[in-house]
Amino acid sequence: MKAYYTYFKLKFITGLQYRSAAIAGISTQFFFGFVYIMVFYAFYESGSGSLPMEISALSTYLWLNQSLFALINQFYRDPELFDLIKTGNISYEISRPKNLYLMWYFKLLGQRLSNVVLRFFPIIIITSLLPKPLNFTLPVSPQAFILFLVALSIGTLLVVSLSVLYPIIALLTMNEKGIVNIFAVVADLLSGVVIPIPFFPPILKMISRVLPFQYISDLSFRIYVGDISIQNGIYGIFIQLIWLFITITIGYSIMRHNIKRVVVQGG
Amino acid sequence: MKYYINALGMHLKSELEYRTSFIFSFFSQIIVFFSYYFVIISLFSKFDNIKGFTMYEVLLCFAVIQFGFAFNEVFARGLDKFDSLIVHGTFDRVLLRPRNIIIQVLYNESDFVKSSRLIQSIIILIIAVIKLKIKWSILKIICLLLMLISAVVIFFSIFLLAASYCFITVQGLEVRSVFTDGGKHMAQYPIGIFNKGFIFFFTFIIPYAFVNYYPLLYFIGKSNKVYYAFSPLLLFIYVIPCILIFYLGVKKYESAGS
Repeated sequence: MKAYYTYFKLKFITGLQYRSAAIAGISTQFFFGFVYIMVFYAFYESGSGSLPMEISALSTYLWLNQSLFALINQFYRDPELFDLIKTGNISYEISRPKNLYLMWYFKLLGQRLSNVVLRFFPIIIITSLLPKPLNFTLPVSPQAFILFLVALSIGTLLVVSLSVLYPIIALLTMNEKGIVNIFAVVADLLSGVVIPIPFFPPILKMISRVLPFQYISDLSFRIYVGDISIQNGIYGIFIQLIWLFITITIGYSIMRHNIKRVVVQGG
Repeated sequence: MKYYINALGMHLKSELEYRTSFIFSFFSQIIVFFSYYFVIISLFSKFDNIKGFTMYEVLLCFAVIQFGFAFNEVFARGLDKFDSLIVHGTFDRVLLRPRNIIIQVLYNESDFVKSSRLIQSIIILIIAVIKLKIKWSILKIICLLLMLISAVVIFFSIFLLAASYCFITVQGLEVRSVFTDGGKHMAQYPIGIFNKGFIFFFTFIIPYAFVNYYPLLYFIGKSNKVYYAFSPLLLFIYVIPCILIFYLGVKKYESAGS
């Protein structure tokens, strides 16, 4: 276990070095956050139709989305892992007496966490100072906050277990770009990062209910703003755990079955 | 120009060599693009207008902007990837050839996979225009064409500015994606729905308003001021300083070596 923790720490500390990238990321996130909120605000001001969420709750949801973007988005990939596969250096990785799946899992976890640590606080602090109702607000209750933390942690483990699948797909197919892209876009859409799930058309709401993606971030954010009650939240976390177990099992077993058949590229 | 077309042909051939990869990427682009207008469609399933604009009006605006952006992604990819030319020192080679610098940069790279976005945006444009039941006149046809052309020109100008910025910073900075991707994202809605600061910035500093707002008002009949129809022409003035800035950058260029 200690070895995996070291991988995690290594990637975490390396990630913290990229501060100028973080500043660029923050400014992008701000801009996108503003555009999203203003579009929603304009819709709300036009005062038509049914409102699935209060504008203040929605703003908080969207700012959580932007500030935690590095943690929860589906597009994050570690180019290093793909390089390993394409250059043939994967043979070194395989020859280590450690489990490759867990190694990759903790590397990705470390990267995501360090990326988000640099971006989260500036965005949250500045957006709490914005005028109402566009600002970031405190959670509805202390209980909700605790539940939010639990759901977010499991959601993070879930998103990492999905993104480990990308290099595994690359390992099997050698040409992962198209497939991985399709997977990432669909996952991103159905996870509620693009627009919150309460705003989905009915059919897509049904589809997203039977898939794991909405348990990545949507569940925890809606617990935070009080859109999901404590009781439903606990129920949601239960399903989240089941999905986490399923995705890790899938990734782990594909890796175990195929690692023996890997063709090492290049020399 | 002949060289440009030749080079494009070569890029297309080399991309088609990897056929399955090309097809997969092409389809993935279709889904990526779908996720863009999915937002608009699902929001309009909850609300029926945004500051008086209906769904098809917004989709028209969206299609025009996406068309302009995708056009540049396919045919001016070299500008978007300009930093790699400078970082690797390959820009020196460009300078040595007795041909136009910008055109050489343009054909340095291209991305035909993105043509799927081009096709999709045209389809959405057609659907939106049909659903809007426009009362056609020659002026409105000109207006629509000017909108499309100016959308291409504005993104070309922004790409050019972002490329000139590389002369100073050497490495392309992620900040520019605020103006390219972010600008695209914002401009897919009629700019009038945003607050005043935004409108000011995107009218006078980066003139999106003349691409997707004033001509749109005329086109959908919200306004009958004829000069709105011709406001996209201002973009042709806007591109001139952008080109000059780029050449200024070329003059100041010190090779990064290789």
